Amino acid sequence: MKTRPAAAAAILLTIGAPAFAHRLDEYLQATILSIDGQRVHASMRLAPGVAVSSFVLAGIDRDADGVLSAVEVRAYAERVVAGLSLSFDGDPVPLRLVSSAAAQIEDLREGLGDIRLEVEASLPRRGGGHRLRFENHHQGPAAAYLVNCLVPTDPDIRITAQRRNDDQSVYELEYTEASGSISLVSDRWTRIGGWLGTAALLLFARSALPRRRRGLMAVGPRS
Amino acid sequence: MRVISKRTVRGAGSGGALGALALVMWASAGVTAQTPTARIVGAANGFLATLDPTQRERVLFAFDDQEQRVRWSNFPVKMTPRGGLSLGELSARQRSAAMALLSSALSPRGLEKVQQIMEGDEVLKTSEGNNPMFGKDLYSLSILGTPSETTPWMLQFGGHHLALNVTIAGEHGILTPTLTGAQPALYTAGGKTVRPLGQESDKAFALLTALDEGQKKQAILSFRVADLVLGPGQDGKTIQPEGLKASAMNDRQRALLLDLIQEWTGIVHEGAAAARMAEVRAGLGETWFAWSGPTTVAPGRNITAYYRVQGPTLVLEYAPQRLGGDLSMHVHTMYRDPTNDYGRKFWAK
Repeated sequence: MKTRPAAAAAILLTIGAPAFAHRLDEYLQATILSIDGQRVHASMRLAPGVAVSSFVLAGIDRDADGVLSAVEVRAYAERVVAGLSLSFDGDPVPLRLVSSAAAQIEDLREGLGDIRLEVEASLPRRGGGHRLRFENHHQGPAAAYLVNCLVPTDPDIRITAQRRNDDQSVYELEYTEASGSISLVSDRWTRIGGWLGTAALLLFARSALPRRRRGLMAVGPRS
Repeated sequence: MRVISKRTVRGAGSGGALGALALVMWASAGVTAQTPTARIVGAANGFLATLDPTQRERVLFAFDDQEQRVRWSNFPVKMTPRGGLSLGELSARQRSAAMALLSSALSPRGLEKVQQIMEGDEVLKTSEGNNPMFGKDLYSLSILGTPSETTPWMLQFGGHHLALNVTIAGEHGILTPTLTGAQPALYTAGGKTVRPLGQESDKAFALLTALDEGQKKQAILSFRVADLVLGPGQDGKTIQPEGLKASAMNDRQRALLLDLIQEWTGIVHEGAAAARMAEVRAGLGETWFAWSGPTTVAPGRNITAYYRVQGPTLVLEYAPQRLGGDLSMHVHTMYRDPTNDYGRKFWAK
């Protein structure tokens, strides 16, 4: 698809943040994760150095018209996401692209611009300890990866450990969710029955354990 | 949106004579004892008084001009234009008044550091065949709001490898976010070797070597950190801290850490720096030191490792850069307070 001025302008407008480091022979791929219990969000900033930018741009500007259209940027972003993986307690979790934007091709060519992606995934909400594993294998040979996680704004979530391999292409995050809500029951309830299972448990508790009713209610699932 | 302060324009007058009078008044006022804020406001008005109306319009922005507030970068200005007036556009008298303003807001050591960063860019310009992308003339100054002893306003000064964002709110002087950098990170001027960010390197290395083996295992990250994590465009973010906590350091090590932190907090004038250090000290037990990269350094050179200092109200990052081929010769650093970047505590609704 050829360039559409409005689309191109929209792309540029979304790059409101100032430019970052001027790189040389690496493709910086910086990811900042945030978790809120129900989902994980990844803000990615991809900055090709001037020595590798032509290679990266060839993968974006597929019609080689010298302009990055919204469709081309989106398609490239989808390929980046395909190179990512996320697992939650060992189970794969699908990542979805929320938005993508790119600086002007001239800036990217000179190692001055970046490509921004917002990616997210839903997480099964349940208390207790969890492990997230995020991997980025997009254009590995030239890549310089950075992965960090924001301190959770939810006071019930506490990060307990971070681990990375030496190039940060693999990142593991351990955290606890202290709501205590569903952690008092087996994780299986949420897996196989979700709300139905929880409701059944509450009904059971109400009838069989009247003295503990108040406690169970107090730690019920949060909306 | 750009707004010229009517009050400032009226106060400055439109003629050279009035401007000169204001400058003289400002200079004589400096003789008497003043609060730091009064001194900075006086210097700001003195600078504005030297400008013609067109120049004033270019240097003044509305305090709520968010676009200008975040228009800073490590990049050369030809690549990422800044707002305001560049030193190269000023007459000798105006330039002198601009530097006087900068001097009023910074400590002597802070001003020296800034001048060394700018001089380094001049060296870069010369070494690249007088490359017009670099040089001292390209550093710009802008003012957001109206210089005031009571109402918040902001002074920005920056260019390649430099972004000073000084928010003045009453007696408070907030220097975050501020970026410093250097390329070349070592050069000779007047027969002397200059390392603009040499203390940031040496003091961090001194702290690292003061740690015992167990502490080093905590502090030294097992992975490469290729760049600043919270550089330009990352305002207000707090990442999960890593490394060695200051509460696990002994008194001498904590003193070394504070001395290191002072390289950034001490850029602003002494009164504001002292208040900031009190804040940093209050959160010292929750402050972390993390190191990534080589644990050795060539004598007289900068380290080639990344490090980060992070506390409840503090983020410092030191990130050597590959561009130029020698990691010890090109560095970017970042100084933030994620809870109070741009002094938001004092004006954000």
